[in-house]
Amino acid sequence: MKKKWQISRRKMLKGMGACIALPYLEAMSIPRIPYGQKGPFPTRSAFLFMPNGVHPDRWTPTQFGSDFDLSPLLQPLEPHKKDLLVLGQLMNKNSTVEDADGHYARTANLLTCMPIQKTIGDNIHSGGISIDQFIAEKIGHETLFPSLEYGLDRIKTGVDTNVGYTLLYASSIAWKTPTQPLSKEIDPRLAFERLFKNYIPGKEAKEDPWKKSILDMVMDDAKNLKNNLGRSDQDKLEEYLESIRSIEKRIVNEENKEKFEANITDDIKKELIRVDQRIDEYAEMYEGVDVTEKTRLMLDIMALAFWSDATRVSTFMFGNSVSNRNFSFLNGVSGNHHSISHHMDHDEKMEEYARINLWHVDQYAYFLNKLKSIKEGDGNLLDNSMIMFASGLRDGNRHSPYNLPVLMAGKGGGTLKTGQNLEFDKNTPLANLYLTMLQNMNFEVDRFADSSGILSPISV
Amino acid sequence: MLRRILIVLSLLAICLHTQADELENYIGNIEPILKANCYECHKTGKAKGGVNLERFKNADEIIQKGQLWLKAIHQIKSRQMPPDTKPQLSEDEYNTLVEGLDKILQSALKSKNPNRVVVRRLSHSEYQYTIEDLLGVFFEAAKHFPSDGSGGGGFDNQARALFMTPLKLERYYEAAETIVGRLQGDNQLWQKIVPFEYKLTWWQKLVNWMKSLFSDDYKPVNPPEKAATKIIVPIASKAYRRFLKKEEEDKLTNLFLSIYNHSAEVANPDRFNNSLAQSLKAILISPNFLYRVEEENEIDQPYLLSDFELASRLSYFLWSSVPDIELLELANQEKLQDSVVLAAQVKRMLNDPKSNRFANNFSSQWFGINKLVENKPLADPEKFPEFTPAIRKAMYDEATTYFYHILTESKNFLELIDSDYTFLNEELANFYGFQGSSGTDMQKTILADRNRGGILGMGAILTASSLPTRTSPVLRGKWILEQILGTPPPPPPPEAGELTEDEGSHKDVGLRRLLEIHRSKPGCQSCHQKMDPLGLGLENFDAIGRWRDSYGQVEIDPSGVMATGETFNNPAELRAMLSNKKELFARNLTEKMLSYALGRSVLFSDESAIRQLEEVLLENKFNTEKFLITLVNTYPFRYKINDSRPKSNEI
Repeated sequence: MKKKWQISRRKMLKGMGACIALPYLEAMSIPRIPYGQKGPFPTRSAFLFMPNGVHPDRWTPTQFGSDFDLSPLLQPLEPHKKDLLVLGQLMNKNSTVEDADGHYARTANLLTCMPIQKTIGDNIHSGGISIDQFIAEKIGHETLFPSLEYGLDRIKTGVDTNVGYTLLYASSIAWKTPTQPLSKEIDPRLAFERLFKNYIPGKEAKEDPWKKSILDMVMDDAKNLKNNLGRSDQDKLEEYLESIRSIEKRIVNEENKEKFEANITDDIKKELIRVDQRIDEYAEMYEGVDVTEKTRLMLDIMALAFWSDATRVSTFMFGNSVSNRNFSFLNGVSGNHHSISHHMDHDEKMEEYARINLWHVDQYAYFLNKLKSIKEGDGNLLDNSMIMFASGLRDGNRHSPYNLPVLMAGKGGGTLKTGQNLEFDKNTPLANLYLTMLQNMNFEVDRFADSSGILSPISV
Repeated sequence: MLRRILIVLSLLAICLHTQADELENYIGNIEPILKANCYECHKTGKAKGGVNLERFKNADEIIQKGQLWLKAIHQIKSRQMPPDTKPQLSEDEYNTLVEGLDKILQSALKSKNPNRVVVRRLSHSEYQYTIEDLLGVFFEAAKHFPSDGSGGGGFDNQARALFMTPLKLERYYEAAETIVGRLQGDNQLWQKIVPFEYKLTWWQKLVNWMKSLFSDDYKPVNPPEKAATKIIVPIASKAYRRFLKKEEEDKLTNLFLSIYNHSAEVANPDRFNNSLAQSLKAILISPNFLYRVEEENEIDQPYLLSDFELASRLSYFLWSSVPDIELLELANQEKLQDSVVLAAQVKRMLNDPKSNRFANNFSSQWFGINKLVENKPLADPEKFPEFTPAIRKAMYDEATTYFYHILTESKNFLELIDSDYTFLNEELANFYGFQGSSGTDMQKTILADRNRGGILGMGAILTASSLPTRTSPVLRGKWILEQILGTPPPPPPPEAGELTEDEGSHKDVGLRRLLEIHRSKPGCQSCHQKMDPLGLGLENFDAIGRWRDSYGQVEIDPSGVMATGETFNNPAELRAMLSNKKELFARNLTEKMLSYALGRSVLFSDESAIRQLEEVLLENKFNTEKFLITLVNTYPFRYKINDSRPKSNEI
């Protein structure tokens, strides 16, 4: 007869699990380093998206390891070479599922690494939450804004009837949930004021004293309404409730507000005045073909947001996928981005294509430079950041999803071994990079989307 | 009695059973034909054009994707599939396949289903017009709100693509602040909503003071909340597009009162007005205002929309805004569901200038010409300095005014493809090279030059379907296939490439020749022979819609031969040819309009309604009024059905 106290093999194994977990529990009792950072400063992360791929032969530097010369397209990054990682052979496998088209299915899921639902708009689904939102969910409460989503172009409206995808997929990389893409801020003035309108010296705006009461009332409206609706309607209304909650949190959380106010140092105030003026000057022009100044303004605001700790995570889209921006403002380019990206291997076209790529890398370098110019502790803001730059395609001509152009810059609070050009095994999941980032930010996760492990050569 | 019921039931069961059997038999007959003739290109792992037919294993699965199969039937019937390069279907195979598929699809349409429209957030233009009609304040919503995507029929009012995010809600809050601020700043507007100045007379004050001496719980005369409620209730009812519920009235009043009580330092009437303004703000960000809600009743079957819900569907369809008093009144009297009343209302609404908003919203999105009035570069400014903001605006106005005219005056949708008039102002007329127009307003102009006429001769459409530096016959051809005929070509293979931007090479060889070279690749031919001739027929219009006879050296030859053998020699003949494709145009127009009206994609369950609408167009010379009256009477417009998914109870 079996005795009651005899433990079955199965239970025994379960128990072992608890034993294994013990050291970790112990670790919990020592003063905890906060989530989202390993060093003394919070880690900032940003994800910059370039549409339409790169010139396939001018991207990857020829030597590998830490002793390498920058490739022609990476030249603008020369001053930041020591802070840079060039990551070769990564791919987003779920961008090549059956029915996937060349652009939409390789854009909307760049940061989710899951397959998107093919739809003209009725079942929008990105497959999963995006990496930036995953981070925001964990540390967003620490800052005034959980995350920021910036870009240059409006969300494209309409449907690509040729391939049967809503154009929304071309315009969204940040997904709060698989069914909820986040709105993109594309206007420097609006973006700037959202963060700083109460703090621009001489222009301080007053807060509305009744905001909380009004929000409470409409929140109650939404809850009542939800009771009488069908499930899909309820889900839609949940977006509303979530949004109200997020604004309420911001106005109610005095502690965060005070923290933020304390962060607005005199140096930041000076920068606020400068950027404010530049936005004014910029607004006076008819929005021309050249988007360099607009791009830099948006990136400056992002840098300010990191600097003042308004947020710690952000996305930026240089354009929507399939963007046909007229790049004639560049020397040696006469035409449009997407058209040129289908270069058919013509030398002239490929040259133009490369120049467009170069412009993007140049703006990235500008951003890195900005972050580097801001002191934080003994180092600078870039030291405490992880700034990714990527496209969902390699060669735009072929919509090639392999060996994606991916860059990472910043030391991530001393967790990244920068200054390397690396080639991973063919088709290494892009999600492995995201998993590495998460672990470097001190999150206890061992998987993100289709990740198969971390990119150990980049981690300290 | 019971026996009889049993008999009936068992008979019914037999009927259903045989029907199901019959369907499955068809599958048995159909599948081998599909396997032999279609799977080669449309199977799992190799789904050409994104179409995988192999995964359909029974009738239910076919019905689920009814729309795909409708297209498949069309392809088979019009002998486009299997393509010329593959073995063709035998007569027997053809008949079995077409009849079999037809029967399966028909069977599914027997049980009516209006399908669901998810709760719709106001689109930006709906928001703008609603504010205008409700409060008289002009607020340019699109400039303040982050843009929405769009789905389904490609319109910005499609429920599933209208998201709410924290950023958006913040903007709604700021918008409410701005709007109420403007309202308070404008005496005339404010007085329309608050027709009195609230203050207590010295006598009322005295009475209240006296009362307060005798009891703490006294009822003052002329209390502020009572006066406020009088204002709040009508405005909130109009904003929520229905009667206000008691608890909603209380909440708004309480909000008013708590603010009023907290601002004793302000003197009346400001104290009263400021507190009221906060309640107005709350109305403008309430989900009851921002979303068009259609509540669920506990009914298993499809059921009619409520009267007020119908009023909203009508007004947002034809006016992009709230129902007016007359519609609300009819809803209140429960008369709106009456088909005579409904028809009269559609006519009235079309006669109201507010229907111009519908014309604008619908046509600009359908034609894809919104980019003309966005503050964004379009045609290359160095190459086309003539393409000024004023011209862009005039082009946009030409197209939308034309649509409005067709909708309300000429009442013939077929004129969209071809007619002998358009709307021009002086600048645009000069731009086109016409004489005789004057002034800045768009005026109806008879076209002596029949190379223009219909939307295909309009600068807006010609520019929107061009590249910034040059024309693209492929894009224009594709535009016609998609937007006029509703038959989009499949995507090009990725390596296909695009033509060079450089017009230099066009000047030497001519675009026609370049395309011919391109088309000679076998993978490109089948689609390009549909697109290219259409686009080349419009080559006399340059990338900003001006007339030209040559590329410089090379004369432009606008003639074309379609794959079907039809021919044309110039843009006028091209349009005449398109005007003859009435069935395709009718179906496309129907699908677009129904999708816009419902705020969702057209689904297979709408097929009966679509056929009904197509017929109305074809039998009534594309009469706009008859079409719209039929549309608002269709099943999916009038009925709703509960969500089949279980409700979520967590709030």
